[in-house]
Amino acid sequence: MSVGRPLVEVRGIRYGYPGGAAALQGVSLQVSAGERLAVLGPNGAGKSTLLLHLNGLLLPAQGSVLVDGIVVSEATARETRRRVGFVFQNPDDQLFLPTLLEDVAFAPLNDGQPGPAAEARARATLRELGIEHAADRAAHHLSGGERRLAALATVLVSRPDVLVLDEPTDALDARGRRRVVDLLRGRPETLVVATHDLAAAAALCERAVVLDEGVVVWDAPLDRLLAAHPFLERHGLMAPLPDQPSGAPKRQA
Amino acid sequence: MSFRHLDRYAGVPSPVTRLAPSARVLATVVLALAAALLPLGAWPQMAGLTLVVLGIAVAARMPVRVLAVRLAPPLVFVLLVSAALPVLVPGTTVAHIGPLSLSDAGLLRFGSVLGRALPALAAAVVLVSTLRFTELVQALRDLRLPRAVTTALGLAYRYLYILTDEVEQLQRAARSRNAGAGAASRRRLLMGIAAASLGRSFARSERVHQAMLARGYRDGIPALRPQPMDRRSLSALAIVCAVALGIAWTAHL
Repeated sequence: MSVGRPLVEVRGIRYGYPGGAAALQGVSLQVSAGERLAVLGPNGAGKSTLLLHLNGLLLPAQGSVLVDGIVVSEATARETRRRVGFVFQNPDDQLFLPTLLEDVAFAPLNDGQPGPAAEARARATLRELGIEHAADRAAHHLSGGERRLAALATVLVSRPDVLVLDEPTDALDARGRRRVVDLLRGRPETLVVATHDLAAAAALCERAVVLDEGVVVWDAPLDRLLAAHPFLERHGLMAPLPDQPSGAPKRQA
Repeated sequence: MSFRHLDRYAGVPSPVTRLAPSARVLATVVLALAAALLPLGAWPQMAGLTLVVLGIAVAARMPVRVLAVRLAPPLVFVLLVSAALPVLVPGTTVAHIGPLSLSDAGLLRFGSVLGRALPALAAAVVLVSTLRFTELVQALRDLRLPRAVTTALGLAYRYLYILTDEVEQLQRAARSRNAGAGAASRRRLLMGIAAASLGRSFARSERVHQAMLARGYRDGIPALRPQPMDRRSLSALAIVCAVALGIAWTAHL
């Protein structure tokens, strides 16, 4: 996939939760194929709401979202969900079947593949992520890091074009964070990552979008953002502390 | 938690575990039905049905001691519910316990309730001990139970562990703040924990549903390794039906 073609386009979307304040107030952005975008911002800025729009779990009150040129709507949600893999913040919300193998095989089975083919594909995905040993284990018997990788496996098995991750390093220890970051750095998919972990964002992404109160206040290279300390402070962000494991050098696009 | 090893004998290779789960569920239903059809005081038939279930347990390589231990709690429940029968049902008084007089008709009812409950409950215990919960859900799906019911059962199994962990965490947090000293305060605490768990479960169910939709869920969870009814399972089911209903029939001759 060549870098440059707009794969995800968000055009002036507005969204408000029933009975609540407006969560998104006219957000526009583009993500090119192969790009890695960090979505940053304080709590309640609208990051998760924006992410939920990318695979049709929420539909905008105004504006539109396009995935590979297809407008996301009720009618196209199935197709766009196949292209956009969503990894939720809490793996326990994502893993809903009794064993890891069944959970990972769900997507190919659901797409009509026969059992043996779905199982082979699920096992190959688990092998790719280094958690094949846990195939027959239940989600509640996995470690925090394994559970995160398991949630990722349930999405990667469908070979999506875009990976959308909500706080992928949340509640992980240093080893778990490094494992997730290293794995994501090696993936070919377009990445959209919402996170408070600026160290992980710096290790993964070249570009950052900062949301505050439902508005995009920054859309530019991430390294410039990290140097803009007064801006970070103004929008409730904090640059990685020097002693934090900020990860290996950034992947070259 | 003790329920984590309920299906301990499901992985034991035996003539019973080789049969299709749907055949085993149907056989259990037929055994319970046969027990329910027995008239009052059909002692030989009650013993006969119990022996049939014992035979199935032995064939499933399930130790009789384990069966007895697992049978105790539901039997105690039946005992408690029917304990008043010998006193309440009018008839000829045959014995006295303190101020209470026991009637012959009441004792007959009491014994018959226990005699019917024993084979029915034993069959259910053998079923859940030798069948994985996922196989049970699959069997119910094969037997054309509504999808909403089978999916809810499957999800309940997955999230039971998370809910019990959550309740334990809430209890621990409350204890760490010295909550629950004294009976009244403990009752209030339990009610608070129940309310908090309910609220959290509701919020979680929304998130799980969203994650399921994101992963392409539409109206059901396909089985990874379906176990359809084969000729051997059908023959075994026919034998159990013939024997159980035959025994029940002899009681009505």
